[in-house]
Amino acid sequence: MTETKLSIKDLTKRYAAGLEPAVDRLNMEVEEGHLVALLGPSGCGKTTTLRMVAGLMDPTAGSIMVDGKEITHTPVNKRGMGMVFQSYALFPHMNVEQNVAFGLQMRQTPKSEQKKRVAAALDMVQLGHLGKRQTKELSGGQQQRIALARALVVEPTLLLLDEPLSNLDAKLRETMRSEIRSIQQRTRATTLFVTHDQDEALDMADRIAVMNGGLIEQFGSPTEVYERPRTHFVANFIGQANFLTARVGADTGAAPVGERYYKIDVDGFGQFGAVGVPGLTGSTHELVIRPHRLNVSLHPGVVGPESIAGTIERVSYTGDALAVAVRVGEKSLQAQLLTSSGDLPRAGETAYLSWVAEDAYLLPAPAKGLPE
Amino acid sequence: MTLLQNKIPPATHRGIEEGVLERAAGKRNRRTYLALLIPGLLGLLVSFVFPLAYMIRMSFNKGAPDGVIIETFTLETYIQPLTDPYYWRVTLDTFQMGVTVGVLCVLVSYPVALFLARSTSKYRGLLIAVAIAPLLTSAVVRTYGWMVILGTNGLVNSSLEGMGLITEPLKLTNNMTGVTIGLVEIFMPYAILAMISGFGRLNRQLEEAAGSLGASKFKVFTRVTLPLSLPGLLTAFLLVFVLAISTFITPRLLGGGSVQVLATEIYDQTTGLLNWPFAAALSVILLVLFGVIIAVYQRLTKKIGG
Repeated sequence: MTETKLSIKDLTKRYAAGLEPAVDRLNMEVEEGHLVALLGPSGCGKTTTLRMVAGLMDPTAGSIMVDGKEITHTPVNKRGMGMVFQSYALFPHMNVEQNVAFGLQMRQTPKSEQKKRVAAALDMVQLGHLGKRQTKELSGGQQQRIALARALVVEPTLLLLDEPLSNLDAKLRETMRSEIRSIQQRTRATTLFVTHDQDEALDMADRIAVMNGGLIEQFGSPTEVYERPRTHFVANFIGQANFLTARVGADTGAAPVGERYYKIDVDGFGQFGAVGVPGLTGSTHELVIRPHRLNVSLHPGVVGPESIAGTIERVSYTGDALAVAVRVGEKSLQAQLLTSSGDLPRAGETAYLSWVAEDAYLLPAPAKGLPE
Repeated sequence: MTLLQNKIPPATHRGIEEGVLERAAGKRNRRTYLALLIPGLLGLLVSFVFPLAYMIRMSFNKGAPDGVIIETFTLETYIQPLTDPYYWRVTLDTFQMGVTVGVLCVLVSYPVALFLARSTSKYRGLLIAVAIAPLLTSAVVRTYGWMVILGTNGLVNSSLEGMGLITEPLKLTNNMTGVTIGLVEIFMPYAILAMISGFGRLNRQLEEAAGSLGASKFKVFTRVTLPLSLPGLLTAFLLVFVLAISTFITPRLLGGGSVQVLATEIYDQTTGLLNWPFAAALSVILLVLFGVIIAVYQRLTKKIGG
């Protein structure tokens, strides 16, 4: 049995009366040792949520519990959390060691133990040799690691990371991503991680909370939010997606993980297969197909009996892959193919699109504003 | 043909040529910068360097009664202030007044400056304007204002008497107390401005980081806020100190003739006794005082790692 470390109930933040809440009755449970990403566009309330958990901001309503204890109104310095800020917030008037030791000093840890733990924390981020340096002499990546060491040295109840990678250049970001993840797994620190970068979230997190407009749209593992998005927003925000409107017909049998296969009717293009949660028959739903799951053929009938014919609008070749935009009626569908040395499709040609049922997912909520 | 077209000059050659070109461009730029500096430098030369040199030269002349200046080269003008205990007293009083006004002014301005620097309110600009608005009134007017407030029958004394807290009016004007109160208020806008610009490294996130690491509000202040605002505090102190020891209007008016500082002394020597060489020598002593405090300031800022 895994323990619940952090439990958030109906957490709400309204900056001013009459304004839309920045965070709207948010509920979330985080398991001990998990890294949870709060993912969403700017203004979705993810940073506000993190700051309320940290104690840097008072919630308007709701509660926050850590290890079963209510901490909603506990002052920030009594929460024992470790936070890494977007700007790292290293103290410019202290050297690296003093920065890392700060939290221990505040806890009045004995000097000798302080020394040992600071050294261990710096070794953990591989900067043991820089202890006497001034923080401004360090590179962005090094500052980031010091900030991480400073937050972890106090053995925090929760590690909170506020867009920690957004100030690093692309290459360093990749390195730090795997480094933060491996440190997090070694220390088993339960971590809340704010990011707007879906790749970061998919790569690092055990669970992703996809946020939009102060609400969690979906809370699940990276594969769940990618493969089984609950809403249009999630499907659109994480990865690329093609959306088609489908009238769901007959249930044709059981699919894995309790889902069902359906016959569907796509905008009058014919009958196709798709998967979805049980009980969708008879209503209209949005169909999500990832570009690389869409089969493209230049000849009808090759990829299966049913296909949608369209005209190739644009082909973009990137060596390994080929992105193809195919116009079908009003819509432009994106497909991604692995290149082979054979003939490549060209713009203007007719292409036939098809998919296997498992790769086409019906969103569980009926499509709104569409004729039934 | 194609071979020729593809021929690229060796990289080393190109590098050298570019380097030479860059250096030439650098030289041209430097010349342009120097040319742009000339008007300002000329202005300074005429309005500052020359008068200063003239004043120093003047201090080695000899003053005779009725404003007669005897062109000579003597240290006599310096011997008098340096041997006469009266002038030691005046110099010491001047220094003491500068330090007192500087310290008090920084103390009362610090909370205001800290608030303004950290405020994220949309009225921040307006609030800063309000804080420095007193600069729009001349120091003379504000000094007269303080004379009214602090006088024997002024606001303070009549209020305290009315409340029965005192039976005899407090002596708040015509002494150093009045001068100090007046100067502290008059220099507050300068101190606030100097501090706000000196709080560069202070930011909210650092205080939040300290809090998240377990520091109480008091610890956040003593370990983070105060050390990081120290450069601003020092700059403000230096500025107020320099302004305080060189001002003569407020000490003259609020001091009512009983407060003697170097600035009032210089004024008397220049306009009353017409002893210009002596006034020049006192001015040089004042300059030395500036120099000492600026040297101390620079040592301190280096120490706290500005």
